[in-house]
Amino acid sequence: MSFMHKGSFAMPKDNDSPFLLDRHKRGLQNLDRMARYPKNAPVDLLIVGAGAGGLVLAQRLARAGWKVCVLEKGPFWDPDRDWVSDEKGSSHLYWTDKRIIGGDDPVEMGKNNSGQGVGGSMTHFAGYVPRFHPSDFEVRTRDGVGADWPISYWDLKPYFERVELELPVAGQDWPWGDPHSYPHAPHPVAGAANRAWKGAREYGIEMRVGPVAITNGVFGNRPHCIYRGFCLEGCKVNAKASPLITHLPDGIEHGVEVRADSMAVRIEVDAAGDRVAGVTYMHDGREEFQPADAVAVCGYAIESPRLLLNSTSARWPNGLANDNDLVGRYVMVQGATQVAARFPLELRMYKAPPPEISSEDFYETDESRGFARGFSIQTISPMPIEWAAHVLADGHWGAALREYMRDYNHWSVLGVLCELLPAPDNRVTLADERDQYGMPIARFDYTQGANDKANIAYAKKILQEIWEGAGAQDQLTIDRYAHLVGGCRMGFTAEDSVVDASHRTWGVENLYVVDGSVLPTQGAANPALVIMALADRCAELLKAKRSARASRSARGARRRAGAARWIARTHAGLSRGRGR
Amino acid sequence: MQDPSRLPNLRPKGDNADPEDLPRHRNGITPQMHGRFPDYNVLDETDHWDEVTREVVLDRVENTPGIRFFTAEEAATLKAYCDTITHQHREPRIPVLSFVDEKLLKGQGDGYQYADMPDDGTAWRLVAQGLEYSAQREWRASSFAGAPISTREDIVAVFADGKLQGGPWEQLNVSRVFKLTTKHICQAFYSHPWAWNEIGFGGPAYPRGYAAFGSDHLGDREQWEPIQATP
Repeated sequence: MSFMHKGSFAMPKDNDSPFLLDRHKRGLQNLDRMARYPKNAPVDLLIVGAGAGGLVLAQRLARAGWKVCVLEKGPFWDPDRDWVSDEKGSSHLYWTDKRIIGGDDPVEMGKNNSGQGVGGSMTHFAGYVPRFHPSDFEVRTRDGVGADWPISYWDLKPYFERVELELPVAGQDWPWGDPHSYPHAPHPVAGAANRAWKGAREYGIEMRVGPVAITNGVFGNRPHCIYRGFCLEGCKVNAKASPLITHLPDGIEHGVEVRADSMAVRIEVDAAGDRVAGVTYMHDGREEFQPADAVAVCGYAIESPRLLLNSTSARWPNGLANDNDLVGRYVMVQGATQVAARFPLELRMYKAPPPEISSEDFYETDESRGFARGFSIQTISPMPIEWAAHVLADGHWGAALREYMRDYNHWSVLGVLCELLPAPDNRVTLADERDQYGMPIARFDYTQGANDKANIAYAKKILQEIWEGAGAQDQLTIDRYAHLVGGCRMGFTAEDSVVDASHRTWGVENLYVVDGSVLPTQGAANPALVIMALADRCAELLKAKRSARASRSARGARRRAGAARWIARTHAGLSRGRGR
Repeated sequence: MQDPSRLPNLRPKGDNADPEDLPRHRNGITPQMHGRFPDYNVLDETDHWDEVTREVVLDRVENTPGIRFFTAEEAATLKAYCDTITHQHREPRIPVLSFVDEKLLKGQGDGYQYADMPDDGTAWRLVAQGLEYSAQREWRASSFAGAPISTREDIVAVFADGKLQGGPWEQLNVSRVFKLTTKHICQAFYSHPWAWNEIGFGGPAYPRGYAAFGSDHLGDREQWEPIQATP
């Protein structure tokens, strides 16, 4: 029995997840009721990747009666059992399989941009969930850089609102972009962030509390935040949102099956090559095949391109949906320089969630700055290992490293998210080296453009000036990146993109990409919310399509079943052939 | 450190570091037994930690892994390197290299490898060879580990600038391998509760959480959290 009435104020409709959790246990409580679909019959939708895109899509379509199966490379987490309140002990949350990084400005992978396991990267994201601005969808038209999206802010707005209610998001009324409010009130602000706020005010910069996907009030059976600060290590409280707790419990109740520890290695096509038949994956060292009526790739900016590039066939010699050499291109990261500032009194920044206050005053293009697009400013409070990385980056080792580390409790840290522009050569390709599944590992090349460098340099200067205004006694700077999007961009034609406005790949009738890789541009916002909103919208489109298709003749169904049988046979033959 | 003008970026170049000004640690252990919070032992708080976290963190203190990835020769050089990076020149030391060795033995990468670098294990072995090469060829020392602390610091200063060259260094991007190794060293050092005692970090915080983080009444320090000494 819950004290909260379903559907009452500020509770989402058509998603019972917060009520399906237990108030005193963090793991999912309905796993014994999870569907188990047979491997010899097609599911309605097979999803690759149980993260922000995959699990929202799964929950929505299961609600509509679809048989949905999700393949996830990592484990099925139980936060009580698997997560710790410790920085080093949380490395299993990150995707730490090797990727080769190159280009002039390589992007280090793992901890701060790649997740694994059910819930995806959101299990260890900080919690910031800002909306994109309306301008983000028409960057080419407005600023002559990047690309326009085939959809607008207004197409996504109802989905932003719906997902914000489900997470739920806590924050002050938001004055930037399309002004809006949030379902939960802002969290209290810690001493370290208050310093930053003071500096910003002196400078004339507006800041606001939030927006964070962390409960700040009654929300079904999810507890209130306890301000312990370990958001990046997986929330053991169930206060911070991830789709593991915000969408999957309801999905399971309506027929979602998640197969954890299952690494998709190839998407198989039918004889003609214009439809996919299912996915080959590795589980417990064995190769398995799951047939499906449709496949949605939700593996994020590195793994989605990698899976498509590895899925070659007679029809698709360069990788699935890759007729125009666009799969893996236009991968983007945000410039995420951080500047730390020293104050006389203790601040103990390890307390309270690292994401506290932010500013989007510099989000839009201002020609006087000398570059297109902009950046946002957010507080970030590193734990000791990340603080050490910050001190090392400023050039200190030996005695000086120890001294700055001992001074930890006196520091506060601000970071920026600079919108770096998409470029075709910032791309994912397949390396020669193979991983433990026998699959070629990904190589990611990244080089900044002139606009990117100008943006980062300007943003860094603003942070330093904010801290001067706040009376900082000393500053330490680290240049870094955050987030990953692009690689299977959404667009207007097969010549400019990998998927159309409905997330369907050009040239493959029943193959979709529904994750951060479809973003044509990235704004200066953290990507979690937009990925969930896109998945929600895609589910609505698929539902509508399905009802239209329901009136089709039975002949189509027979043809699909025949194709699945064909691929199952062929696949069995291939497996035997490959066995050595 | 009440006088911030003594911080490394602000004090006159060449001035000494401050550890000798620090109070001696009185409760529990810090590396070299000095720190800013002499009466703070984070291990006094273990009853407030959840069981899973307690096991993971206490294992780090109680069970130092043996050296199995590196050879005895490599280990001697690299232990001296870790001591130089972390400024640990006397006991008690956090056994940094043991944790690095365990990570490499288990193949626990961080998720990436630069295209112009070998894999992490090979990179570390080349650093061991490179430090010996530089110490013997350019600094005329018997070995890196046998060289005086000031010589080791001179060598590491050139390493930090990415300017060591010749021999094994030619197979590496020197700046990147400095960053890689110092990252691994800090992962080991600052995940250890003795280092948390030194810097006054609260440690694991579930299920207790925090209430004193800046409000007018509660301030910034929980009642159980350490008071900073005035040196």
